Amino acid sequence: MKSVVKGFKPSKLAIAAVLLLLPALFSAIGFSYGVLVSCFASLYIIAVSGLDIDFGYCGQISMGHAAFFAIGAYGSVMLHKYLQLPILATMLIASVLATIIGAVIAYPASKLVFHFLSLATIAFGEIVYTLLLNSPGGVTGNAVGLFTDSINLFGFKINTYSRFYYFGLVCVGIFLLAKHLMVNSRVGRAWLAIRENSYAANGMGINVTKYKVMAFAVSAFYTGFAGAMYAHLVRYIGPDTFTQKQSVMFVTMMLFGGTGSILGPFTGAVLVLMITESLRAFEQYQMLIYGFLLLMVVVALPGGIYGETKRLIGRIAAKRKGGKAHAS
Amino acid sequence: MLLQVLVSGFVIGCVYGLIALGYSLIYKASGMMNFAQGDVLTLGAFLGYTFYTLFGLPYYVALALTVLVAFVFGLFMEKFIIRKLISKNVMAIYVVLATIAVSYILQNTIQAIWSTKMLNYPQVFPVASVSIFGVSVQSQSIFCILVSFLCMAGLQVFMKYTRFGTAMRASAMNAKAAQACGINTSLSTGITWAIAAGMAALAGILLGPIYGVFIMLGSTIGRKGFAGAIMGGYGNLYGAILGGVLLGLIETLTASYLSSTYKDMIAYALLLIFLFVKPTGIFNERAITE
Repeated sequence: MKSVVKGFKPSKLAIAAVLLLLPALFSAIGFSYGVLVSCFASLYIIAVSGLDIDFGYCGQISMGHAAFFAIGAYGSVMLHKYLQLPILATMLIASVLATIIGAVIAYPASKLVFHFLSLATIAFGEIVYTLLLNSPGGVTGNAVGLFTDSINLFGFKINTYSRFYYFGLVCVGIFLLAKHLMVNSRVGRAWLAIRENSYAANGMGINVTKYKVMAFAVSAFYTGFAGAMYAHLVRYIGPDTFTQKQSVMFVTMMLFGGTGSILGPFTGAVLVLMITESLRAFEQYQMLIYGFLLLMVVVALPGGIYGETKRLIGRIAAKRKGGKAHAS
Repeated sequence: MLLQVLVSGFVIGCVYGLIALGYSLIYKASGMMNFAQGDVLTLGAFLGYTFYTLFGLPYYVALALTVLVAFVFGLFMEKFIIRKLISKNVMAIYVVLATIAVSYILQNTIQAIWSTKMLNYPQVFPVASVSIFGVSVQSQSIFCILVSFLCMAGLQVFMKYTRFGTAMRASAMNAKAAQACGINTSLSTGITWAIAAGMAALAGILLGPIYGVFIMLGSTIGRKGFAGAIMGGYGNLYGAILGGVLLGLIETLTASYLSSTYKDMIAYALLLIFLFVKPTGIFNERAITE
């Protein structure tokens, strides 16, 4: 908490003001579509931040996070539809459900190394997708999908994009603060130790399996909640949203921004979303754009935009310091 | 009925086997995973169609030409993308992602060059079907099974009895030691990726006349091929064939006798079960867990 208070600067105040006034700014320039994109950005930031806890901090890849996105979305919609529970409650229950399923998958998967972990998560994602498409009794609406309502916050309906934007902003704040607190705690340090060297971590008395399962489950909660947000923003869900491509998009966003930080996934989600949205006209070639984006990140920007920028600034600062030392 | 089911199970099983063999070869040689394999299969099917129907080449020539193009593609992919990444010393996951990126690019390029429409091969063989024990079987299916087995057997012979195959096995076992013995390890790794791509394209041109040619032909097969490779023991060349064929048979048999609704789930369920319970597979290949 201390660092949050300490980092209070005028520049941060300006950023906060822009974030708060964004819907008004967009409508002032007659670009109301921007509000919707910002809403999507908020939920993607949460999903990708969750994935970053799993990969950036604990070093476990998941290529099947679309499954948790789906569990959050379908869980919330179905709980509301069949049990008539209030929507905010269904979102939380569905996210908890995603967490539990995540833990169940992570336990046997925690002993697998990178390649095989990615295979296992892909297989899990495909199984969930097939179940959505061919659910017993058609409870998920199969290929047709399901329609649903907007979020009802104790009587206050979040039924416009601007309202959703503020809701999303609050959620992003809560989730990022939680992430900040988590990664700077004992648990976060255990995750980092496992990422750097799981044998050494084991030798230091860290229960590797337990912490790996924890990281995976927490990231499933984040992504599940983002999925629930998606469902009640769009108010329609269909299986096509939850394919393997979605999982790869999460990974792309995460790597594009930079892993193992709070702002990296934030930057990545916003930038990749902006790029894909501005290239909407070339929808036919979306996969091609995606492929090149992914290849570019992997080949040219291994630290992600945020990571590389930070490194560059650090290098310039070091040079300046070095130059000064030389002069004196 | 049973014979027909078995034949179609063998056809798709051989295709899984060819794909899985590619995976295992690459894993043995470079410890990497290639997610573009399935889309190379699609490329093979489209190239074969183009050479055969549009250019009017004989089927065998079209087949050889397709495999050659894919071979070169695999070589280039290894040299200009995978090698670059490995020499930068990045995490293994970046290489996996690079192959996914290549698969996206490939898929969209194929869509741009040809179309999203499904294409159908004209009859390849003069006799459409032959009768075995009174049951008529597509001649293309028999051809597919025969050629796949020939290719798999040929690969085993190549790896075991030729000079270059031995060099490849040596560099897969210990790259540094092989290099010290004067083996060109970078060439042998490149050839491995090229052979894998060639086999995937071969599977594509064999399968095209049976399933039809469309954009998504390979992507599912490519993903399911992993299940075959895992079942046999990832990295084991015999295991890949056995796993692939078994997967094809199990999938086809359950789809025709139990329920076809969850047909696509069987491969992934098997993959998960094997990874969680017996990650070393049927052939007990020790390469997979930490």
